[in-house]
Amino acid sequence: MSDPDRHTVEQTASSDQLLAFMQFLRGKKIPVSPADTLDAIEAAELLGYADRTLLKHGLAATLAKSSHELATFESAFDDYFQIAIKKAGDASASDDPSALPDLSDKLLTSGGTIPPQDVNDPLEGLRGNALFDALESQDESALSLAIETAAAEVKVEEISLFTQRGQYVRKMLDALGDEALRAAAIEFEQSEPAAFEAVQALREQLRERVRDRVERAYLIHASAQTEDLLDESLSKVKLGNIDHSQMARLKRLMDRMARKLAARHGRRRRRYRRGKLHVGETIRKSVATDGIPFQPRWRKIERKRPQIMAICDVSGSVAAYAKFLLMFIYALQDVLPRTRTFAFSAALGEVSDLFDTLPVEEAIEKVNLKYGGATDYGRALNDFSELALAEVNHATTLIVLGDARNNQADPRLDLLAEMKARAKQVIWLNPESTRLWGTGDSEMLRVKRHCHVVKECNSLNQLARIIDQLLSDRR
Amino acid sequence: MSESDYPALGEISTIETAFEAAGYICTTRIATVIKLAASLEKPVLIEGPPGVGKTELAKTCAEVVNRPLVRLQCYEGLDESKALYEWKYGKQLLYTQLLKEQLGDILDGAKGLSESMDRLHQFGDVFYSESFLEPRPLLKAMGADAGSVLLIDEIDKADFEFESMLLEVLSDFQVSIPELGTITAQSKPLVFLTSNDTRDLSDALKRRCLHLHIPFPSVELEARIVASRVPDLSQSLTDQLVRFVHAIRALDLKKAPAISETIDWAKSLILLHAKDLEGNLVLDTLNVLLKYEEDIKIAEGQLPKLMATVTA
Repeated sequence: MSDPDRHTVEQTASSDQLLAFMQFLRGKKIPVSPADTLDAIEAAELLGYADRTLLKHGLAATLAKSSHELATFESAFDDYFQIAIKKAGDASASDDPSALPDLSDKLLTSGGTIPPQDVNDPLEGLRGNALFDALESQDESALSLAIETAAAEVKVEEISLFTQRGQYVRKMLDALGDEALRAAAIEFEQSEPAAFEAVQALREQLRERVRDRVERAYLIHASAQTEDLLDESLSKVKLGNIDHSQMARLKRLMDRMARKLAARHGRRRRRYRRGKLHVGETIRKSVATDGIPFQPRWRKIERKRPQIMAICDVSGSVAAYAKFLLMFIYALQDVLPRTRTFAFSAALGEVSDLFDTLPVEEAIEKVNLKYGGATDYGRALNDFSELALAEVNHATTLIVLGDARNNQADPRLDLLAEMKARAKQVIWLNPESTRLWGTGDSEMLRVKRHCHVVKECNSLNQLARIIDQLLSDRR
Repeated sequence: MSESDYPALGEISTIETAFEAAGYICTTRIATVIKLAASLEKPVLIEGPPGVGKTELAKTCAEVVNRPLVRLQCYEGLDESKALYEWKYGKQLLYTQLLKEQLGDILDGAKGLSESMDRLHQFGDVFYSESFLEPRPLLKAMGADAGSVLLIDEIDKADFEFESMLLEVLSDFQVSIPELGTITAQSKPLVFLTSNDTRDLSDALKRRCLHLHIPFPSVELEARIVASRVPDLSQSLTDQLVRFVHAIRALDLKKAPAISETIDWAKSLILLHAKDLEGNLVLDTLNVLLKYEEDIKIAEGQLPKLMATVTA
């Protein structure tokens, strides 16, 4: 540490590692901008790399921008630097002779970094080989440089599969020129056992470093890609077909989508608040300035907060979709205040309270328990009319989620027509694909006439798109 | 570098001791962020549940660095004229009247309209000079000679437009006044923004800040905080009290009690000359800790269990 050269070498090595860490964070869906990167490096330089908790606090302050991101950041930091600590442990072993006594002993006995007086040193022939020299003198900067060059040469960042790691290690070793060392080792194997041992130890060290480099590349480039791929396919798949093991991932994905929507639309609400000139107020204000209207006052445009009423079929066939719609709506509570939700299969009831008081999953269980059964749209619409039709007005958007399969009973479309007349919008979401509408006992084609919008809605992507549209045109 | 501006914030260990001396127990995380803020000259955005000492941190910081604290409380509808600056209309008007009376003298001897206009123009600029400027908190903080501590409280309550306006202030520490030009802070203030997370702040604002999330403290930390704030309370009672509060926070409440409530409770226990935390006393004083009727009911129902954690 007293050596100033070593210090700068460590610093560059560490800031390289920081850059890689940022890449890793991006993979974990924490947006890190170039400006953030600069801040983080500055902070790290200021705090030093020695104290890991300190570094963690400093980086968290510059990189994690919300409490949610903070949690992700902390686990990512621990994950990443656990690997890095192990790596650094190997790398810095050269600083600390006690860590690798056998290796340094061997280096000393076989010549080491002290100019060799022994003319018959068998390793003499290898000196001049850049790789060997770097390894033997433990030249950190030269080694890192060589490894990075080799990594660039074999395009290690293109690694995409777990199984490719061995292949990339081999390629990198070749690019580094390990072949010469191997040949030398074979040569020494019979004649010079001590030299053989020394060369093999150095080669093993090199291999270890290369393996770590490839591992890191995999972690940074491929693991995030794999995650993205899984997320993407999951958001397209039919929600009814998703099995239990995927639920946690799906929930995460949905939370992320909901947060994105909330961030986007929450902000838009605050624009355009200034209306026309408020003459009275302006004149009143101008009294203070002797009748000169210094400060024009404006009328405020009242924000039209849309009210959403969601009516969900929770009978067996549609329950899974209803669950996601409800979860999505409640994840957006900040942007969609005053949302009321109703659930039905035979009878209909308001479930808003359940969602206000219970965590979403529990609330959904309760809803299923309370209102599950054979579907009867007629009765449900009738119940809704009695319960809440009086409160449906021009600001209300009604969302009905259901397959419109009414077991041949009267779906009471007259009630739906009345709802359409009163509400701003009636949107019917059907999890069945459009081809099946109107087949069998499906009333969808008749329902269609009494709605402003009908949409097929069975994947997370479709759901997010519909809600996005809903939020966009609500002014 | 601002290290010279705020020498008290140079080292993490000195920050910790200085804050503790001023009555604020801060964790290493907080101290680290404050050091970074002073060295990198970046504002700190403090988030966390209400009552964990977000505002207090800024106040203590002002005390530690011995600079004036300029506070700007945000609310919906806060605009530039209340946050940045305002022209003193009354004074301007008064001076216009004075000018009117002297108009004859000024224009005396002027030939033609253009020369009269030229003479009048000399006064136009006078009206928009610093003597007619009423500085509001942000401008005040920029103008402080030896630096200051600027606290922008509850930024999430302000409008989105206001947030955008802050960007210039926070990244360059300067204020643009169309009539005067740009006023840049001579020595940069330490800026703290607090947010209760009622809405998401814009990315642009977030990007300019260091982030500090202050959660509810651990039992040990809270005991230290109570001991430093309410030194008269016996140690055993402090321990009991803090453990009780932690047990209450684990309940599903509308609003969990924060540090400030713990301290209030500790103070009321002193007033009541309490020696031990026992059932009836807790029942009588629960309203200090919990602010909602429903929460008090829940806690009352769980009282035996809560008391058990205290004695354990």
